[in-house]
Formats: sequence, structure tokens, C-alpha cells
Amino acid sequence: MMRTIRRFGVAVVMIWMVTTLTFFLIRLMPGNPIATAYQTLLQQGMTAQQAAVQIHILYDVYPNQPVLTQYFVYLWNLVHGNLGTSIVYTGRPVLGLILAAAPWTLLLVSMGLLISFVIGLLLGVIVAIHRDTWIDNLTSQVASVFHGVPNYITGFIFLYFFTVMWPWFPFGNIYNPSIAVGLTFPFVASVAYHAVLPVAAYVFGAFGGWTLSTKSAAMAVLGDDFMMADKIRGLTSAQRLDHLVNNSILPLFTGFVLSLGFMFGGSVFIESMFSIPGLGYLVQSATTQRDYPVMQATFMLLSAAVILANFAADTLYSRIDPRIRN
Amino acid sequence: MTSVPAVERPRVVHHGLGRIFFSKPIRVLGLSIILLYILMALLGPVIFPPQIALVANPAKVFQGPTWADPLGTDFQGVSVLAEVVLGARGVLMVGIAAAFFIVVLGVLVGLVAGFVGGLVDTVLMRVTDLFIAVPQFPLLLLVASILNTSSPWMLVLMLSLTSWGALARSVRSQVLSLRERDFVEAARGLGLGTRNIAFKVILPNMLSYVAMNFMISITGAIYAEVGLLFLGVTPFNPDNWGVMLRQAAGTSGALYTTKSMFYVLAPLLAILLLQSGIIFVLGALDEVFNPRLRKGGARA
Repeated sequence: MMRTIRRFGVAVVMIWMVTTLTFFLIRLMPGNPIATAYQTLLQQGMTAQQAAVQIHILYDVYPNQPVLTQYFVYLWNLVHGNLGTSIVYTGRPVLGLILAAAPWTLLLVSMGLLISFVIGLLLGVIVAIHRDTWIDNLTSQVASVFHGVPNYITGFIFLYFFTVMWPWFPFGNIYNPSIAVGLTFPFVASVAYHAVLPVAAYVFGAFGGWTLSTKSAAMAVLGDDFMMADKIRGLTSAQRLDHLVNNSILPLFTGFVLSLGFMFGGSVFIESMFSIPGLGYLVQSATTQRDYPVMQATFMLLSAAVILANFAADTLYSRIDPRIRN
Repeated sequence: MTSVPAVERPRVVHHGLGRIFFSKPIRVLGLSIILLYILMALLGPVIFPPQIALVANPAKVFQGPTWADPLGTDFQGVSVLAEVVLGARGVLMVGIAAAFFIVVLGVLVGLVAGFVGGLVDTVLMRVTDLFIAVPQFPLLLLVASILNTSSPWMLVLMLSLTSWGALARSVRSQVLSLRERDFVEAARGLGLGTRNIAFKVILPNMLSYVAMNFMISITGAIYAEVGLLFLGVTPFNPDNWGVMLRQAAGTSGALYTTKSMFYVLAPLLAILLLQSGIIFVLGALDEVFNPRLRKGGARA
């Protein structure tokens, strides 16, 4: 219990560090957007007073305040759930933008992660059982090449072939705008239809890694004494397979949780490529339009999600695997 | 005590190099792919002088492969092959330089943390954890948009600063296990200093791991680099695969015609082929550094 609390404390401190880092990154970099905007306004003939008011309206900070004061104001707002307002979508609170975008990203990323994990698990176990045969050589080689292929490559190939070459799937957006939003069959079907290609892009970018790590985990389990004991006890091959799979999943668990964060990062590509109004798209459009409040908040939330996932993985792992419980 | 493979080992490392690479056809393939890319990077502008090869020609927009343009032409009528070949230098230089700094930083932090221990270890590892936890791509986007620089060296700096964390952590754990081994104990017994033990005894034992990470980091850095250019956050010189992709997806209108297939696929395949080449060679590297993996064992 003490361990869990300590770990949670570390996670909170790390989130605070990321917040601080991004705050100062944006404020203190040479040519930071706020200083640049302030200078531009001055050059346009505004008085320092007017420019400061204008900057306050745009960025929610007073440019003449010391940076530390700005920082504490920012933290204070943050703790109260105020993430500022967007510059591009004038006046819309950042939190609202993020909450509207998050479900799509969660849906696509978790689907992609689950499907690639299941495929990788199956392939990995098969390969481990048929070690050093042509099945192993072929699958392992393919998996190593696909492992680490960024999803913008797989996504782009799918996009080109299945929406341009052969227009089997719709291009852009995540549902047909002419269908009313709601938990109705046409809407869900439309979402599923639009989700096929993005999810496939995630899956093809990720299954190779899962195959390789399942393979090494399963090979380690196959060498364990209890697998030999299973054989001697005369368990059927189905029962032995069950033991093999269950024990191979364990070491993959931490990686599974951690890769959530990685895939959230990758959503930047998939979502801007397929024009899906999720978090990745929000990050990307905010970046190209220099919408700093949105960038800062989404970046911070993504990092916080990864750090918390990390914490959850650590805590849950010791509960799942009785061997490392102390 | 008759077999002494340990004495045999240093000799085998050098003599077996060619044999290891040529023992499997796939490694020869991988090596040739890598050589091809190096040639492209070195000789690209000689084969396709940019002033001639990159001139727009509205008469042959989005053409299929011909003898003159084996990969067809793009939206301006420029040969796609010339664009891919000319893009290699910029992409490879940034990738290799970034991988170099990633490895130097990762190994240094991992070695110091694992070897010095105590407070230094705790602080270094907390910083490492932070860099691992922060999602790389959004961070890159943020920094790239703030810096807004077109210098390839800034790109290298950004790429290496955001991706050394994982290597540092695993180097540290290797150091922790290696420093308990007998030969390190022996080195300590001989009175070697900390720096000597760290860099001359422990580091050589991790070389294979470091070398393989260097190769993988190259592909990682190239992915991130091309990705950033694809998203259009860094203004960077035009002859680059990422810029090709960006134009293919956006302004060029390539996504509205089926005639653009070669143009769209060429930069993607250029990256995939390089990745495959590196993966195929990795297995050989592993054997070069770990004689125990070789078929037939050490020649006693």
C-alpha cells in the first residue's frame, strides 16, 4: 500500500514537471508566440497598454507580468479545471474542445490496440511452438519488418488503395454527417464503416511488435519446468496450450498499457490523414495554426494519460502476477 | 580444462565477419540495400543534377513509368525517381546524426546512472522516466512549432533529445547486471579506476546491444523526421521524402487521381525498403558480437 501511494506521488510529480516544462518551453523560447505577437502589436502602432490588453484577450496572460506570476496564475487555473480558451476557435474553452475530441481517439486507438494485440498473441504463440521452421522464419522476418513501421505509412497505403484506387471505403470524417448522431443502428454502422481503415492502419503498424514480444515470452515459458511437468502429467495439448498462452500474456501486460500512450501519439498521423475529429487531429491543427492554449493543454493531457497508464500498469502488474507480490 | 573458446573468441570476431554476412542470402540482400542507399546519398546529385532533374514539365504530369522516368512523374511532371534519389541525402544524414546522438546520450546516462548509483542514479532515472513518459510525437510537434527552424541540425537536436530515454534505461539495467560479474570483480581487483571499468570493461560487453540500437535508432529517427515534414510543422528543404508525402496527401491533388500511384507509393516504399535492409542486417550484427550464437559454435 505504501508502495502504491509512493508511486502515485511520483506520477503526480511527473505530471507537474511536464506541465511546468511545457509552460516554460512556450514562454521562454526565443521567438515565443506571445512575445512575437506583443512585438507585432507594438509595431502596428498600439501603445504598450493596448497591446498588453490585446495579448491578455488572446492568450489569457499579461505579457508584462513576470513569468513566474504568469506561471502561478496558469497553475491556479489548471487546478480549477480552466485550461484557457482557444485562439483559433475564438472563445471556445479548450477543455470543451478536448472532451469533444477524446471519444473518437479512445475508440480508434483501443480498437487498434486490442486487435493488433490478439493477432500478435496468436502469431507469437504459433511461432514459438513451431520454432526454427519455415513458419517461424517467415513470420518473424515479416513481423520484424512491420515492427516499428510508423502508422502513417500503413495508413497512407490503405488510404490510397481503398479510397482512391478502389473506393470501397469512405474518405474523411468518422461518420456520415447526414446521419443524426445517436445510439442508433445507422449511426453506429456508419462509424464502424469509417473506422475500418484507420483501425487497420493502427493494427498493421503494431502487430509485428506484439508478435515478436509474444514469441520471446512464449519461448521462455516453453523452457519452464512446469511445461515439462504438464507433458509428463499427460495433460492434453489444449490444456498445455492454455497454460502456455496464460503465462505468455503476463510479461506483455506492462507493454500493453504503455503502448496506449504510444498509440495516442501516433493518432496525430492517422487522424490528420483520415480527417477524424479526434485528439490527434486537434493537436495537429492546433500546431499548424499556432493555437498555443490548445497545444499546451492537449500535450499536457496526453502526457498525463501516459504517466497515469504507467502507474496503473505498475500497480496492477503486482496484483496479476502473484509471484512478484511481496 | 582443455577447450578454451574464450581465447579463441577475439580472433573469430575478425575472421568470421565475411562468413557471417554471406552465410544467409537475406543478409547479403540487406547489406546491398544499405549500400544502395549510401550510394544514393553520396552520388544522388551527380546522377540527377537538381538544376536539370527537378525542373517542372507541365506536359508530363502524373505519367506512368517510362524508360526516361522509371517511377513515373509527379504533379509537376518531375521524375519521381530523381526526387527519391535526391531526397536520400537529407533524410539519411539527419537519421544517422540523430541516431548517433541518441546512442551517445543513452549510453552515457545509462552507464553513469548504473555505475555511480546513489543520488546520481535516482536523479538521472527520474529525468529518464520523464522523457520516456512524455509521448514523443506531440512533444516533437510542440518543440518544432516553437523553434520553427529549417536547420537540419535543429531537427537532429530535437529528434535525439526526445528519444534517448529507453536506451538509457536498458543500458543502466545491463550495467547493473554486468557489474556483478566475475570479470568486473577481477578488473576491480586489478585496481582499475571507475572510469576504466565503465568504459573499457563494461562498455565493450554491451557493444552489440549498442550497435543494434544505433541501427534501429536510425530508422526511428527517419520515421520521426519524415513524419514531422509530412505534417508540415518544420519548414525544410523541398527534396525530401516527407515533403513528397505531404504534397502527395495535400496540395498536389494526387489523392484525387488513380494515375498518381507511383508518385504516392515511391517515398513510402523508399522508407520501407531501408527499414527492411537494416532489419535484415541486424541478425548478422548480433552474431558478430555474440560468437555463441554462431552455427557450429566456436572453432576449437
